[in-house]
Amino acid sequence: MPTYHLSETELSSWVNAIMATQPVIGPVAKKSRFVFDRLEDSADLRLDYDTTILPPKKAFFPPKQDLLHFDASGVRGAIKPESKVLFGVHPYDIKAIHMLDVLFAEGHPDHAYLANREATTIIGSSVQNHYQHAFFGTASPSVPVQGHDAFLTKIPDGYTLDILSEKGRKLIEGQNFKPASAEQTAASEKVNEDAKANCPEKLTYTSEEIKAKLKASWDSPLWEEASQDCFSCGSCNTTCSTCYCFDVQDTWNIDQKSGKRYRRWDACMTTEFAEVSVQGGTENFRETKAARYRHRMMRKAAYLNDKLGGPACVGCGRCSGACTADIANPVNFIDKLMKS
Amino acid sequence: MTCSCATHTEKKDVGMPQEALVLEAKMMTATEKHFTLKLRDGSKFEYEPGQIVEAGLFGYGEIPLGLSSSPTQEDSFELVVRKVGKVSSALLKLEKGDSMYIRGPLGHGFPMEELRNSDVLIVAGGIGLCPTRSLIRYICDRREEFKKFTLFFGARSPKEQLFTDDLANWRCSMDVTYDETVDKGDDSWKGNVGVITTLFAKHPDLSPETKVIVCGPPIMYKFVIRELDKIGIPHENVFVDLERRMKCGMGKCGHCQINDKYTCKDGPVFRFSEIENLPEAI
Repeated sequence: MPTYHLSETELSSWVNAIMATQPVIGPVAKKSRFVFDRLEDSADLRLDYDTTILPPKKAFFPPKQDLLHFDASGVRGAIKPESKVLFGVHPYDIKAIHMLDVLFAEGHPDHAYLANREATTIIGSSVQNHYQHAFFGTASPSVPVQGHDAFLTKIPDGYTLDILSEKGRKLIEGQNFKPASAEQTAASEKVNEDAKANCPEKLTYTSEEIKAKLKASWDSPLWEEASQDCFSCGSCNTTCSTCYCFDVQDTWNIDQKSGKRYRRWDACMTTEFAEVSVQGGTENFRETKAARYRHRMMRKAAYLNDKLGGPACVGCGRCSGACTADIANPVNFIDKLMKS
Repeated sequence: MTCSCATHTEKKDVGMPQEALVLEAKMMTATEKHFTLKLRDGSKFEYEPGQIVEAGLFGYGEIPLGLSSSPTQEDSFELVVRKVGKVSSALLKLEKGDSMYIRGPLGHGFPMEELRNSDVLIVAGGIGLCPTRSLIRYICDRREEFKKFTLFFGARSPKEQLFTDDLANWRCSMDVTYDETVDKGDDSWKGNVGVITTLFAKHPDLSPETKVIVCGPPIMYKFVIRELDKIGIPHENVFVDLERRMKCGMGKCGHCQINDKYTCKDGPVFRFSEIENLPEAI
């Protein structure tokens, strides 16, 4: 697949051209942070973002999503995929999206996710500024960056654009981008390698070493110690780019005849996540903060590795920044665990 | 466990609920209601003993339920709802002619291939009789396919016994060696009083080759396993039917996860040897 070179002006006119045909979701500033949001003006696009508050999975796996609509006449599926372009996704988030693609497709396929995902074209972009907790250079190194349709890299004299799929090719139809020179391609490769090497935080152990140690540490006192200050708020889950747990609820419309079944993001760190109703009360299969903390770490670094080809953590660092009690940082915990 | 049944090979879309007509609805105890159902569209509901469905009503939600009937029963299938929360309370109000909505069948049921041509012991406690009844009825309907068949059932009190018509049949049936107990008797109760493990001493003929199914309250498992150990039944031959909060039923939403396994997809029936070292299992 070809690589092109774009100037700043070509980039913004290209974004405008895409926006004229379909919605474009990209990183924009929100106070001191960034969020993925629908672009109203191509000038709002901030490809120099460090990371976003919520991961881009929300473009096709929104925090709240209708599954079914019902009324007196019956029930209908509520899946209405909308063609859109997700623009400026960092490599670690591309990896995370591919992991979700695998998990939602395996076994019983989740059509609500897959239909929205299929309708989305993903254009990645290089990391220009690092989030203070990022460690993507050393997280899941065995998992390739894949599943996206094009990738934009900021180099000193503009951008290189790799077209990686038919969906990506369609987006540049009618554009007269020049092929990138060998020097420009080499420069973009260096930019992306440097971005990995320059992460402010680093894991110093391999995924296999971490997985083995985690599995051997079920009864470690560290779980209790690490989770002492946990508020069970679930912020580490809701900001995670690979978390995909959800709750399903029904709700009536005001007519009390029609309504909907919807899902919303859920969080395994919250107290009631593994609770079941029993006669006379409830029973909780992960009652303690320590059990929930352990479950999250196991799920990120041990349980899903075989399915994903590596840990279900891409090193975005969002959980570290979101945690009020400052206990979620995987690098700190793994370090402590490995030395125990 | 792997399964080659139609449900798992054809990838039926289990995301969309199907309307099921209530053919019969009967309170079995003060809190449990027994429903006989068939699909509104007239198609046959295909499932394996031990599989589950998500049953619910729009506007209320869904709950996971084990099928209580055997697939050998051609024209209908059965579910038991225990009144516990919002969804089950709404379901309990349904009567003959009403509809509920089901998704499924979901998960892996009892290992039928392994049970065939073997001695089978089922140990059911309380509401654990509901999902195991699908297997009990299956074995009784295809008796020649199985060897010695023993069933232990324990309830808290005589009033809390479920499926009393079935129990009356099994007491005098030639198909099954049935024994029962209650934790606490009453004036009318003439049978055994005590926890379910007290029944083992009365059946010294259980062989170490027996394949065992255990389903009941969490506390029951470890004491039953202790009895099975005394007989010398290896844990590979013991199967447990577990219960968790299940939302999607499709191995995605994460609520029913036991370590790295999903109860709704990998279970609800698990080989005991595969989960006994999973600290979150029982």
